[in-house]
Amino acid sequence: MTAIPLRYLSSGSPALTSSTASTSHPNGSNPTSGTRRLKPLAASQRAFLSSALRVNQAGELAATLIYTAQTPHVVAREPHLRPLMQHMYDQEAAHLSTFNALIARHRVRPTALYPVWSVLATGLGWSTALMGREAAMACTEAVETEIGGHYNSQIRALLEMVSGWEAEGYDVGDELRDLIRTLRRIRDEELEHLDHAVQHDAQKAEPHWLLTGVIRAGCRGAIWVSERV
Amino acid sequence: MASVAAAAIRPALRWALRRSALSNCQLSRTFSSTVRQSRAPIPDYATPNPARPTHFGFETVTEAEKRERVAEVFTNVAESYDRMNDLMSFGWHRVWKDYFVSSLNPGFSPLTPGLDPRAPQHILDIAGGTGDIAFRMLHNAHIVNGNPDVHVTISDINPAMLTVGKQRSRSLPASQQAALSFVEANAEDLTKTKPLSMSPPSTTEADITSAIPDNSVDLYTVAFGIRNFSNIPAALREAHRVLKPGGVFACLEFSKADKFPLLNTIYKEWSFRAIPLIGQLVAGDRDSYQYLVESIERFPTQEDFRDMIVDAGFVVGSNGGYEDLTGGVAAIHKGMKPRA
Amino acid sequence: MLLLCSRAVHRCRRAYHSYDHPKSAGPFNAAEEAILAAAYRQVPEHGFTDAALAIGAREAGYLDISTNLLSDGAFSLIQWHLVQQREALAARKAALFADDSSDPSAVAARVEALTWERLLGNTDVMGRWQEALAVMAQPSYIPESVKELAMLADEILFLAGDVAVDPTWYTKRASLSTIYAAAELYMTTDHSPGYFDTRNFLRRRLGEANEFGSAAHAIRQWVGFTASAGLNMLRSKGMRI
Repeated sequence: MTAIPLRYLSSGSPALTSSTASTSHPNGSNPTSGTRRLKPLAASQRAFLSSALRVNQAGELAATLIYTAQTPHVVAREPHLRPLMQHMYDQEAAHLSTFNALIARHRVRPTALYPVWSVLATGLGWSTALMGREAAMACTEAVETEIGGHYNSQIRALLEMVSGWEAEGYDVGDELRDLIRTLRRIRDEELEHLDHAVQHDAQKAEPHWLLTGVIRAGCRGAIWVSERV
Repeated sequence: MASVAAAAIRPALRWALRRSALSNCQLSRTFSSTVRQSRAPIPDYATPNPARPTHFGFETVTEAEKRERVAEVFTNVAESYDRMNDLMSFGWHRVWKDYFVSSLNPGFSPLTPGLDPRAPQHILDIAGGTGDIAFRMLHNAHIVNGNPDVHVTISDINPAMLTVGKQRSRSLPASQQAALSFVEANAEDLTKTKPLSMSPPSTTEADITSAIPDNSVDLYTVAFGIRNFSNIPAALREAHRVLKPGGVFACLEFSKADKFPLLNTIYKEWSFRAIPLIGQLVAGDRDSYQYLVESIERFPTQEDFRDMIVDAGFVVGSNGGYEDLTGGVAAIHKGMKPRA
Repeated sequence: MLLLCSRAVHRCRRAYHSYDHPKSAGPFNAAEEAILAAAYRQVPEHGFTDAALAIGAREAGYLDISTNLLSDGAFSLIQWHLVQQREALAARKAALFADDSSDPSAVAARVEALTWERLLGNTDVMGRWQEALAVMAQPSYIPESVKELAMLADEILFLAGDVAVDPTWYTKRASLSTIYAAAELYMTTDHSPGYFDTRNFLRRRLGEANEFGSAAHAIRQWVGFTASAGLNMLRSKGMRI
């Protein structure tokens, strides 16, 4: 896994940090130690984790395809944006492979609507790029706003799970800690894309309210569906 | 069928239904508090207490008073008991009872080499006054499974119901009559039972005969009875006491159809609006039928009742511990007394 | 049938496999396990029947009537066999594959070896397996049976090291389930030594599925390549798409 910049760790919740401090085993973070007491996951928790990983995979798949479809048009018009587009694409591709690996490792069913998301995301990237750089950036702005909020709500739910275990006196495994760290890192990178989009005139797109409104509603619908299917 | 009937009589009779509508409004609030109370594992409930408040339909009464008033209801309806069940279940209760008994499969005992090739069984049918379940049990054990070593004790708190059952049992084959006994007992305390006598009741203490001993029963059944008990947790603990380790508690009872909203709505309309009225018209006894409907509404959900069974010390099956019949209008709960 | 409208299904489902957390409770509780384990020993003689269950209950120290704990009766005994055999595969994996390298090219061979291993798990009860298949095909048991088959296919592909999470995730599991079910049925009438014919049947079917899978993959690749080449050609002619 890539190194995690310190600021993401330091934003950890009190729940997470206090547990590390209070754990009675000095090697409490070593996954091979057999002394740790972890609670079996409840059916609802397993269902939450599966649907979270599934929807994240679908989202990152869509994100890579949006950038893939946008890049040729945006770069053709404004070649100086090539490094930025490439940078954002590379990050999304890394997110996708992170979630693909997590899905395979934790034996979660991938989204059944894979082909549908592929077509819709490519179409969205292509059509906004045709409307110009501002529209393409507005698309990024809208998508990343929704995605940032979505990751935040997942992180919140996971922290609640963690603090529930800690309140009952159970330990928290590295698996969940790593997942929370990964989600935080990815969320921050997505929000960085949002900043880039705004810096590059996303809000000058016409009509900005309509474009972002429609795309954000679409994102919420897609998240709702892929949490379930 | 139900909706048509209910719709047809509704407009003309709205005036008569004010009472049930009122009780309906209070329903959700009072009902939830019942569930909380009954689920709390307080040892207080282990022993019956005649002065403690309980429910009679939607009214709150003492346990002793409930016992009296339930007795009154069933004395009133003993003769027309089947008709009452037909009304509440659209005739399905016969099918449910058949299924209940065949799923329990009493008397089934594969022949194996050994000292006791076919194990005898003792079945205790609680609140089984009219013999509906007991006769089916005997048929299944003696005839279907060819195991004559199955004895059924029918117990009821109400001698009027037992008398009906006793009379009906006369049409059974002699061998089955011989395998039946009738006792008058309160399900919350099976240490005092009284054999049914057809002569006028005497009040001497000598009539109170033997207790049902600990660890003596293979199968404890209660069909459409448990919701009338003043203290259900006490009855469950008593069931646990009399059952052998490995013995089975099985309950068939009206339940909640709320997994199917449409069915539920139709059923509620039928039971709260039509049935008390029919009771009034057909049997001239509105209150008994009103009680019947309210007591069904009061009874805990499938999951809550399953948890009460577990609290009494039973093991329930890992796929839920209960089975819905006809979308949950009735449900079968089963629990096994674990090995000590 | 209206009478038995709904059956509360609480058996475990496939969702988020954790490596840290202890395994959630299995599909059966301790008393059920005791009865089923004893009853399972009776299957060669008595079949997957209520009689086997009752004798098992007695041997485990319970009563004939105690089998009521298992609300699905004989089907519970079949489920016990299916779950036991599926869970045993993970332990046999080590013996089957000396090298633990997850070489993707070996996935197909591993799938075949694991599927064959699972089929051999039926040999002890082979004389009773046709009856069991008939019970599993009863309408009220079909959902549970199909779910168990899907979990088996998932287990085999996971143990074989298949990590695809694209739409082939579904097609692979569907085709493996179909092939396994067909081979299982074939095996009940196979009298060749060591189930030689069944082994060949399995090999042929898996081979066909792999060919079909790679053909579909080739077609997808070709379509994708042609489309992007066409797009680039149009762009080179100055079209702004």
